[in-house]
Amino acid sequence: MVRAAGLVKKFGDFIAVDGISFEVKRGETFGMLGPNGAGKTSTLRMMSGLSPVTSGELEIDGIDATANPRTIRDVIGVVSQHDGLDPDISVRDNLTIYGFYFGLDRKMAARRADEVLDFFDLRSRGGDSVDDLSGGMRRRLTIARAFVSRPRLVVLDEPTTGLDPSSRNSVWEQLAVLKNSGVTVVMSTHYMEEAAILCDRLVIMDEGRILGAGTPEDLIRERAGADVAQVRPEAGERDSVKRKLKETGYEVTEIGAIFTVRGLNHTRADLTKISGARISFRPPNLEDVFLSLTGRGIRDE
Amino acid sequence: MNESLAERRDTGRIDFRMRGVVGVWLRHYTAFKGGWMIEMTGILLEPVFILAAVAFGIGKLVGDVELRDGGVGYAVFVAPGIVIGNAMWHALFECSWGAFRRLQTNRIYDSILSAPVSMRELALGEITWGATRALMTTAAVLAFATATGLVESPWAIGILGIGLLTGLMFGGFGLIAAAIAPSTHMLTLVFTMVGTPLFFFSGTFFPISTLPTWVQPIAWSLPLTHPVRIARALSTGDLHMGLLWSMLYLLVAALVFYPIATLLLRRRLLV
Repeated sequence: MVRAAGLVKKFGDFIAVDGISFEVKRGETFGMLGPNGAGKTSTLRMMSGLSPVTSGELEIDGIDATANPRTIRDVIGVVSQHDGLDPDISVRDNLTIYGFYFGLDRKMAARRADEVLDFFDLRSRGGDSVDDLSGGMRRRLTIARAFVSRPRLVVLDEPTTGLDPSSRNSVWEQLAVLKNSGVTVVMSTHYMEEAAILCDRLVIMDEGRILGAGTPEDLIRERAGADVAQVRPEAGERDSVKRKLKETGYEVTEIGAIFTVRGLNHTRADLTKISGARISFRPPNLEDVFLSLTGRGIRDE
Repeated sequence: MNESLAERRDTGRIDFRMRGVVGVWLRHYTAFKGGWMIEMTGILLEPVFILAAVAFGIGKLVGDVELRDGGVGYAVFVAPGIVIGNAMWHALFECSWGAFRRLQTNRIYDSILSAPVSMRELALGEITWGATRALMTTAAVLAFATATGLVESPWAIGILGIGLLTGLMFGGFGLIAAAIAPSTHMLTLVFTMVGTPLFFFSGTFFPISTLPTWVQPIAWSLPLTHPVRIARALSTGDLHMGLLWSMLYLLVAALVFYPIATLLLRRRLLV
């Protein structure tokens, strides 16, 4: 469905996307995980035909995206970070007019608007102004709008950033249902949990490059081992704990006041010998994968 | 370099869909319909207040104005100036202030462009809507002027067309301002430095011949001068070949800003 090879995006001298290659298969949900400035939005904007490709190849559904930015937009649905909802017209008109842009006649656009309003639980708000919606509703409406045209591919740029946990859950639920209906999804996120829950496969990006790719489970197994320890030194013990951790030979990263230790074997014996620190164990997650790939946390700016 | 690449790709082949233009126009019409009662105050009432005050108030103090084919009352002289000047204001406001709000504040252009609408279609939708508003206000104020006896010739119906072209011209100009303005703050310059001087010094309220000799060529070069001149001739029924130059000026100006606005919007948004 999507094929990128050596894809580059430059803004003047700044390289936002530095020659990335990936493929997205039909029907899968593909994630781009990385901190702000990793090049996710630039990549998605190129995929949406909204930003000229500097160099490299990019193919969407068999169409050369570098030459046909508009033809791309015929077949995809775009959910950008800025909702871009129209406060001057009703919730429902936001959808019908968007459908009209895609070539639906007004009757069909009205029918599709009702269908997606139903699906996204917004039917009762159809006549309201966008300004009267809560943050979660606005976000659902933005996603609903992308589905009005029955796209083959939906591109979502950080779909739950800025939402409270319960709104985030409801967006996740709806995306899960849509994913089940067979639409191909490409989404960016900096929430590890979101990537783990929704994505069939993902790439981890940082500074315009792809650092790792695979299913969430494979990435975690390969990069973070079976178990992760968090070691919190007691007051005054930081240096000695650090030295002892180094001696164990495990991968250790220090964030704030906590050492994260990856690649543990199941005996944990080497760690329990360390004194002057509280040690807890947890299953590894994508945050650990990111740590292991970059040496820093995903939300360190 | 990126822009020029995108530019070539976009212009290299004929890829223009009327649907994009109509869609954008329809969005504006839908928003307009939602608040039409308030909109009417700007379209009809405000210009009628100005026209009534100037024509029937100040006009009483002013003698006849000498035109090519003799003198006319000041009210008759000033009416077409106010009709067309007002058409300018509406297109200018809609396509600079209104467009900037959509572009920057609400980011509606981002969503329109994420649908299969090209920048060229979006820009034309904006400008034709600006011109539509200019036409609406031209029709409303012209009807008032006609009802109060300020229109002397049936040719005056042609003023509708002049109002529309004026709208296209200033719609295009306004959109250029919106595309390059960094903030609404800067946009106010369009009104204070462009709109206001044009409104008063384009032969709208007094003949250009009353200005100092050295200023007259400047006044003749102003874009609002020409539609006002044509509208006045249509209103008094004094049509002559000299108006063809003004018509040519108006047609060129109505078309020339549109591609520039498209280009500047692309440079701003499609990066």
